[in-house]
Amino acid sequence: MSIATAKPLPQSSRVLSYAGALLETMDAALADHSNTFIMGQGVDDFKGIFGSTTGLAEKYGAQRVFDVPLMEEGMTGIAIGAALVGDYPITTHIRADFSFLAMNQIINLAAKYSYMFGGLMRCPMLIRIVVGRSWGQGAQHSQSPQATFAHYPGLTVVMPSSSQAILAMYPAIINRHPGPVISIEHRLLYNLDFGVSETAHRVPLTSYVARRGNDVTVVATSVMVLEALRAAQYVQEKAGVSAEVIDLNSISHPDWDLVASSVRKTGRLVIADTSWLEYGVAAEVCRQLMIRDPRLLSQPPSMLGMAPAPCPTAKSLEDIYYPSQHETVDAILTQAKGPRHGIDLPVERSMTEGYKRFRGPF
Amino acid sequence: MRPSLAVGSQANPGSVSLLKDEAIYRRLFRTALLIRLVEERVIELYPSDKIQSPVHLSIGQEAVAVGACDALRPDDLVFATYRSHGFYIAKGGRLDAMFAELYGRKGGVSGGKAGSMHLAAPEVGLMGSSAVVASTIPHAVGAALSFKRRGSTRITVAVFGDGATEEGVYHESLNFAALMKVPVLFLCEDNGLAVHSHRPVRQAYRLTEHAAALGIAGRRVEAGWDMLAVREATLDAAARVRAGEPFVLEIATSRYKEHVGVGEDFHFNYRTSDSVDAWKRRDPLILDKKLVAELRPELEREIAAAVAFAEASPAPGHAELLTDVI
Repeated sequence: MSIATAKPLPQSSRVLSYAGALLETMDAALADHSNTFIMGQGVDDFKGIFGSTTGLAEKYGAQRVFDVPLMEEGMTGIAIGAALVGDYPITTHIRADFSFLAMNQIINLAAKYSYMFGGLMRCPMLIRIVVGRSWGQGAQHSQSPQATFAHYPGLTVVMPSSSQAILAMYPAIINRHPGPVISIEHRLLYNLDFGVSETAHRVPLTSYVARRGNDVTVVATSVMVLEALRAAQYVQEKAGVSAEVIDLNSISHPDWDLVASSVRKTGRLVIADTSWLEYGVAAEVCRQLMIRDPRLLSQPPSMLGMAPAPCPTAKSLEDIYYPSQHETVDAILTQAKGPRHGIDLPVERSMTEGYKRFRGPF
Repeated sequence: MRPSLAVGSQANPGSVSLLKDEAIYRRLFRTALLIRLVEERVIELYPSDKIQSPVHLSIGQEAVAVGACDALRPDDLVFATYRSHGFYIAKGGRLDAMFAELYGRKGGVSGGKAGSMHLAAPEVGLMGSSAVVASTIPHAVGAALSFKRRGSTRITVAVFGDGATEEGVYHESLNFAALMKVPVLFLCEDNGLAVHSHRPVRQAYRLTEHAAALGIAGRRVEAGWDMLAVREATLDAAARVRAGEPFVLEIATSRYKEHVGVGEDFHFNYRTSDSVDAWKRRDPLILDKKLVAELRPELEREIAAAVAFAEASPAPGHAELLTDVI
């Protein structure tokens, strides 16, 4: 079963890769807004941030799409300064891990400027960071810091899980959203093809239902939305279990009422996140449900995330470090039918085997 | 004799120039005295707990802010630090809104959410001040980069202390500015202290030599008490920056008061009063008693009105707590 085209949007009018959607939105941003520019390590090279900025330097000139020295903090500070005088900067980090070098500017400055100056100063900008996974990314090329960034008021954090999400969200963010936005893109998604629609299925800057269902609610982020959709299809076919999949989509500003109403309907919950469970998205989903009504769940929820350790490089360890499709299916079936559900699980022990089109070194 | 005039008259001999220098001197002196009197008022008010936040006084360093800002165009931008009462006033920020900000009141520049450490006055080009050392330096670079891309002749000034030059982002900012020929003036207020640590134990470099290694021209001004000398140096530097290259201007100065708070700190014995006394012996705000006497009443009235404005301004509350978060 192919990954992304498994469930094309009913109204999809064309097929577009995640990287292609990024390139289209970057191109449109530069074309539509003369104050917009893109800077980051390698944005103007032949790889163009995995194809998401390729050719734009040639098209719009080196003043608007340019490489920078290795200076994550400085680059982010430069973006803030440009934003303060009315430009709209887009910065990139080819691994989310590198954005940690810009933490001071992101958290102490960008996140604070609107509030700290009582609305006098604003620094709207888009910070694109890419999460790595598989092919031995190891401890420092694999982190997924959505919970970290969403913890700080003043930041808007999104995790587009499809080409459609990018096409819908980026134009609503770039030069329109009043504050700094961190978009956490996933490397595994870049080369996948998605059905996209120009008219329907607008993905808002908050959560949405990616698949309707009645038996189990699956709240997922980023590539785990795809994993949840694949698993939902499997349990439907194998066991007649109807899973509702909610793409959290915005990590800083999710639609908690949407999540709560789904859980109120199903009483059963699986949370599938790309990062660690501790103090993360999984913890926050539980907190939000608990403060609304502790009786929403009829049984303890299941949670899928990275094992509580830094990411190992060896493939044998990496395969058991991340939740596999088999574990995602098992979590849904366990919620629906109990741990002794007795239903055959998919024999796809390595989740990334499904993402055949992705090969290293990045 | 007024100490500052010596520099001015050397630069511009002749009676007409002297008259012009006199007018400039009075203008600079007035602003510098306003800054000092404002901060002395802050010292008086502080024990009342009406200003409930840390204050980092610039007493002793006024000449840097005043001389530098006077040399800029009104539409040039300054990015500053937590020790920026001086730059706020020198750039032309409203005094009443400043006191209300220190008081944490709705009438403050930022409605009380900023306080002393985060003064801003974008309407006159003070583009924020940060309590994290060195953190606004790249902002000045970014804004200047935007000006350059637009073909504007505006420039920006990154203001920072000598301690900030030890931070990595200072190096990153200079390297980028040199590479891209960004019209930014790096203005270092060298008071020789990072909180209580002296510069010789912190720095293995001289600032202008460090800049030169990156291809950035620089200059050190020792007479940081001299407003006219600072102004002249900034005029020269700003002209070079406006022509399209970054510049590092380092001005020696002296922090009379403790790092944070309104007192003196000589009794802690990490420094002696000798170095500060040497500056005070050259400080025009101390020496030029005649001009102080002449200008003081009017400035005191201005300050009294600003304090009254702050006292009358209501405190923010629940209605403001969650505004402007995004």
